[in-house]
Amino acid sequence: MKTFGKIFLGFLTAVIILWQLPWLATFASSKPSRHPFTVYSCMIQDFAMIDASGDELVYTDRQGRIYTEEQFDSILPLLYARQLFSEGRFPTEIHGRPVRFQEARRHDFFFRSSPRDINKVKPGIYFLLESMSGRVDLEMPDDAFRVNARGIEFIDMETNTLKPEKSRIFTEMMKSKGFVFPARQISGNPTAQKEYDEGYLLSDAEGRLYHLKMMRGTPYFRQIPLPEDVRPEHLFLTEVEARDMLGLFTDTQNRLYVIRMPGYSVQAVDIPSFDPEQENLSILGNLLDWTLTISSPDSVRYYAVETSGFSSLGRYSYARESSRIHGLCFTSSADSYVKPRFY
Amino acid sequence: MFKAVFFKEWLKTRWCLSAAFVLCSGFSIYIASRVMKAIELQGAGHIWEVTVSRDALFAEPITFVPLLIGLALGLFQYFPEMQRKCFKLTLHLPYPALRMTLVMLLYGLLGLSLCFVASLILLWIPLAQVFPSELSSRIVLSSLPWFAAGYAAYLFSAWITLEPTWKRRVFNMIVAAFCLKIFFMAPAPEAYNAFLPWLSLCVIALISLVWLSVLRFKAGKQD
Amino acid sequence: MEAIIECRNLTHFYGKRLIYENLNFKVPEGRILGLLGKNGTGKTTTINILSGYLEPRKGECLIFGENIRSMNPATRARIGLLIEGHVQYQFMTIRQIERFYSAFYPQWRKDAYYELMAKLKVAPGQRIANMSCGQRSQVALGLILAQNPDLLVLDDFSLGLDPGYRRLFVEYLREYAKAEGKTVFLTSHIIQDMERLVDDCIIMDYGRILLQCPVAQILSNFRIYRCQTDEYRNGEALLQSLSQAGGGKLYHPSLIRQNLEFGSFLSDAEVGRILRQEQIGYSQLRSERVGLEDAFLSMTGKY
Repeated sequence: MKTFGKIFLGFLTAVIILWQLPWLATFASSKPSRHPFTVYSCMIQDFAMIDASGDELVYTDRQGRIYTEEQFDSILPLLYARQLFSEGRFPTEIHGRPVRFQEARRHDFFFRSSPRDINKVKPGIYFLLESMSGRVDLEMPDDAFRVNARGIEFIDMETNTLKPEKSRIFTEMMKSKGFVFPARQISGNPTAQKEYDEGYLLSDAEGRLYHLKMMRGTPYFRQIPLPEDVRPEHLFLTEVEARDMLGLFTDTQNRLYVIRMPGYSVQAVDIPSFDPEQENLSILGNLLDWTLTISSPDSVRYYAVETSGFSSLGRYSYARESSRIHGLCFTSSADSYVKPRFY
Repeated sequence: MFKAVFFKEWLKTRWCLSAAFVLCSGFSIYIASRVMKAIELQGAGHIWEVTVSRDALFAEPITFVPLLIGLALGLFQYFPEMQRKCFKLTLHLPYPALRMTLVMLLYGLLGLSLCFVASLILLWIPLAQVFPSELSSRIVLSSLPWFAAGYAAYLFSAWITLEPTWKRRVFNMIVAAFCLKIFFMAPAPEAYNAFLPWLSLCVIALISLVWLSVLRFKAGKQD
Repeated sequence: MEAIIECRNLTHFYGKRLIYENLNFKVPEGRILGLLGKNGTGKTTTINILSGYLEPRKGECLIFGENIRSMNPATRARIGLLIEGHVQYQFMTIRQIERFYSAFYPQWRKDAYYELMAKLKVAPGQRIANMSCGQRSQVALGLILAQNPDLLVLDDFSLGLDPGYRRLFVEYLREYAKAEGKTVFLTSHIIQDMERLVDDCIIMDYGRILLQCPVAQILSNFRIYRCQTDEYRNGEALLQSLSQAGGGKLYHPSLIRQNLEFGSFLSDAEVGRILRQEQIGYSQLRSERVGLEDAFLSMTGKY
C-alpha cells in the first residue's frame, strides 16, 4: 500500500507536470497563427486573398498582385454580388456565361463541418418535420424519433409515450425499401428556422444510403443509388437555397460526394481526401465554383472546384507550424471528449 | 470494532452528512422541478429540442455540490482527529492501523454514496417521466463526473487533513486542485463516457494517498 | 526483573539538530518511572518514540519485547496511553466514549470507569469539549483504568491541571499502579508531582541521560553543599577545576561572591577531601538534603 501510494503520487505529479508545464509554455509563447482569407476567383481563375495580419487589410492574389477594395469586389463578382449590384457593377456574364443577380444570390451557400461536432456522443433523438404542410413556415413536430434495431420509433413529447401506429407505418415503409436496422448514420437539420425541409439522410446497417422525410404525415423514403465500392461514412444534409443539392457525404475512403437534386445523382468532388473525423471543412460555394478549405493541425488546404461536375479548378495550401512542445492534455479541438492524450 | 469505528465517525459527521444529504437531494429536486416548470411553460417539445440541439442539461446547478460535500465531509471527519493529535488515540487502539484507516474511509465513502445515490435517483426518476431514456440517461451520465469528483474531493480532503506537516499539506493541496480540475472539463454532454471508468479507478487509488499521510503521521513528521 | 520497556541506541535529530545519540534505558516491571529533563532535552521526543508516533533516526524501542513500530495490536492493548493535555475525543460524551473504547478491549472494566466518573460533577451526556481540563483528566484516567493495561505511558500528565486535580490524579494513579503491579512511564513538568508518584527517575540533560536511579536514593543521598571560599576573585578557574574534580561528581558548582554552592551524592568527608585535594581554601562547609526539585535543578543547572 505504501509503495503503491508513493508510485501513484509520483504518477499524479507527473501527470500534472506533463499537463500544465507545456500548456504554460505554449500559453506564454504562442502567437495566434492566422492565415489570409483565401477564396477562388472565377475572374482571375486563381486564388485571391485578404491578408489581415498587418494593420490594414491587404487585397492580393497568389501572384502577389495588389488590389483595391473595389477591384477585389469585381474579381469576386459572385461573392460580392450584393455590393456590386448596389453599385450597378454586377456583370451580365462571366466568361461568356450569362449570370443574373437573383440566380447568383440563390446559389450562394456556406457549409462547415468540424471534427468536434462529429466526435461527440449524440443524443440519438431526432425530430422529423412535416415537409409539405401547405404552410409557408415550417413547424417543429409534436413527436421525436429514435432508430434502433427494431425500427424507427416515434415518441409523443407531451406524454413521453410511443406512437405505435406511426412507428409501425414508417418502419414498414423503410423495411419495404430494404433498409436494414439499425441506422449507422442519421443526418438532418431539425429546426424550423430554414427555407424548406428535406428530412434526413440515413445509412443503414449494410451501408446503403437513404433519404427520409415526412410529407402530409406519411413517409417519403428513397434509396439513393451509389456508385460501385462507395460505402457512405459521414452524412451531411445541406438544404441549400438553390435546392439543387440534397447533401454531402464522405465514404470509407474519405472521398467527398455531392448528392444532386433532382434525381439523387451522386458525384464525387475532385479533391484528394477529406477526413471529417480529423479535419475541418468549410465550403464557400456560388453559382460557378466552390472553394473548399480543409484544415488539419499541420496544414490548411484550399481546393477550387466547378459546380457542374465538381472537377478541380485549382489548389493551394499553407503549412501550419505545429507546436514543438509535447505534453499531455485532456480536451482537444478535434473532439468533444475528455480523455488523456499526448500531443 | 467495525461498528465502534462507524459509531465514532458518525458522531463527528452526523450534522455534516445530514446537511449533505439534504443539500444533494434538495438540488436534485430543484433541478427536476425546474425542468417540470419549463415543460409546463414552454411545452415538452421545446425542452426536448433544446436538450437535443443545444446540449442543455438542466443539471448544471448541482455541478460543484458533490465536490463541496466531499471536501466538507473529509474535513468534518478528519479535522477532529488532528485536533491536538487525537489521531494518536485512534491509532493506539488495538486494531491494525491500515484496517482502521480503511474502515474510516469506507464510512466516508458509504456516507457520500448515500447522498449521491439519493441525489441521482431523485434526479433520474422525474426526468425519466418526461424525457425518453436517451435524454434522461444523457443528463445523468453527464453529471456522473461531478459525483466522481465528490468522492475524489473526499479522499483528497482526508489526505490533506491527515498530513502532519504544512509544507507537504500545501503540496498536496496543489496536486488535489489540479486533479479535481480534470473532472470539470466537459466541452459537451457525455464527454466522459469513455474516460470515466478509468478516472474512477484513479479515484479508488487515491485511498493509497491517505495511507501515506497516516504513515507520515505515525513517523512523527514535523515542519 | 523483566524489562517492560527497552530502548536501544536511540538517536534522533530534528532536521540537523541532534537531540540525542545512542540513548539506552530499560524500565523494569512494576515500577513507576518518571522522565525528568529541562525543555529541549528530548522528553517529548522520547515519549513520542515510546508511544510509536515518532520514528527515531536510529535505534529501536521494545515494549513487552516487541518493536513499537511494528507492534501486534493485541500487544498494544496492554499499553495505556495518555497524550499531552489529557486529550480525548472532544466530540464524545462520557457515555459515548466509554461505549466506543469498550468495543476494542475484551477485558474492559466498565465499573472502574463509571466509579471515577461518579465523582465528577458532570452529566453523562456532557461532551468532553465542554469540560474543564481537570474533568477531562479524570475521563482520560478513567478510560485507562477501564482498559486496565499492564503499562501506562503518560505524557505530561500535570499539564493544565490545578493543584487539586493534580493531587487527585497522582494519588489515584499511584494507588492503582501499586495495587495492580502496573508499570508506568511518565513525564511531567512539575517535579513535586513526580516526587509523590514515581519510584525511579531518569534525568535527561542535553543529548544524554544524566542519571537513572530510584528517587529514594536521590532523596536520601543527594546533598546540596555550601561553603565560603576566599578564591572568589579567580572564580572562573575555580568553578572549572571543581567541575572536573572527582570525576564530575560535584554537580553545577556556582559562586555568588564568596559563597560556593554545588550538589553531590558524595558524603561530607568525601567532598571535603576533594576540596582539599584541589587545594581550594574553604570554610563553614555545610550540607543539606533536598527534595527532588532542588536535586534536579542542582544536577541540571538553572540555565
